[in-house]
Amino acid sequence: MTEYKELDPLLHSQLRLAVISILISVEQAEFTYIKEKTGATAGNLSVQITRLKESGYIEVTKRFRDNYPQTMCNITPLGRERFAEYVEALRGYLDPGKQK
Amino acid sequence: MEKDGKISSGEESLRIITEMIDKTKVNIVQSSFHLLFWGWLIFACSVSEILIYRFTHFASPWYVWFFVIPGVFISVIYGFQKGRKASVHTYAEMLYAYTWIGFLFATIVLFIIHSHNIESIGKYILMLAGIPTFIGGFVLRFRPLIYGGISFWMFALIAHFGTPVVAALSIPAAMLTGYLIPGYMLKWKNRDDRI
Repeated sequence: MTEYKELDPLLHSQLRLAVISILISVEQAEFTYIKEKTGATAGNLSVQITRLKESGYIEVTKRFRDNYPQTMCNITPLGRERFAEYVEALRGYLDPGKQK
Repeated sequence: MEKDGKISSGEESLRIITEMIDKTKVNIVQSSFHLLFWGWLIFACSVSEILIYRFTHFASPWYVWFFVIPGVFISVIYGFQKGRKASVHTYAEMLYAYTWIGFLFATIVLFIIHSHNIESIGKYILMLAGIPTFIGGFVLRFRPLIYGGISFWMFALIAHFGTPVVAALSIPAAMLTGYLIPGYMLKWKNRDDRI
């Protein structure tokens, strides 16, 4: 019988997975960039980013640029590890024959 | 599109991941500026040097290369300003930028080491310039820049084995094939500056 790895509930959400997928491919991204790419509302994105930050998956840095606040996000080593595990588990679901 | 719910299937997860990664492609806004700026600056300096040498009695035509110094400042300031304003920094952009910064330092070292024979430095600069151009072509997935990098090495050989006139002409020729043609192709490829 094939055993499936449990999918990380924190990443198994549309917006949080989208955020992590963006941050895995860039060194750093601004909040407005993530908002534009995901098509999410500022409020919802802010909530999901806070959850990812509190879990240690991402880091959030606030700074000023031309007198305007700028929120920069980047993935942490833990977030990178969890994303890799999520993709590995996902592979098991999509192709059960290759599940380790 | 508003995402806040649970994912219903593995296929949906995969779709979100690929869709988001696909949206973070390499930004090439800065790349064409630097290629065109340096292409024209070096082209102008090298052609001026040839013309001064050919039509005047000025003893040190290579002085025109001092225009490169303000060029470095303009390029660095432009890159820094654009970088500060960018809402995203991709790994590819960082690799691209640091390869060029590495080239800048290598060139400074070359000038110090070769200061006794500055007139023949062109072929070594071409040899070094081929590296970031070649790597940049792969990073930006832009073939003309890869060929441009290769052309630098070919012109470095031509400059070494050719007559002094051929050696002098190899620099503006390399600027055409290595920076200007790929630079304009990059600029015109996509008006929204993304590949």
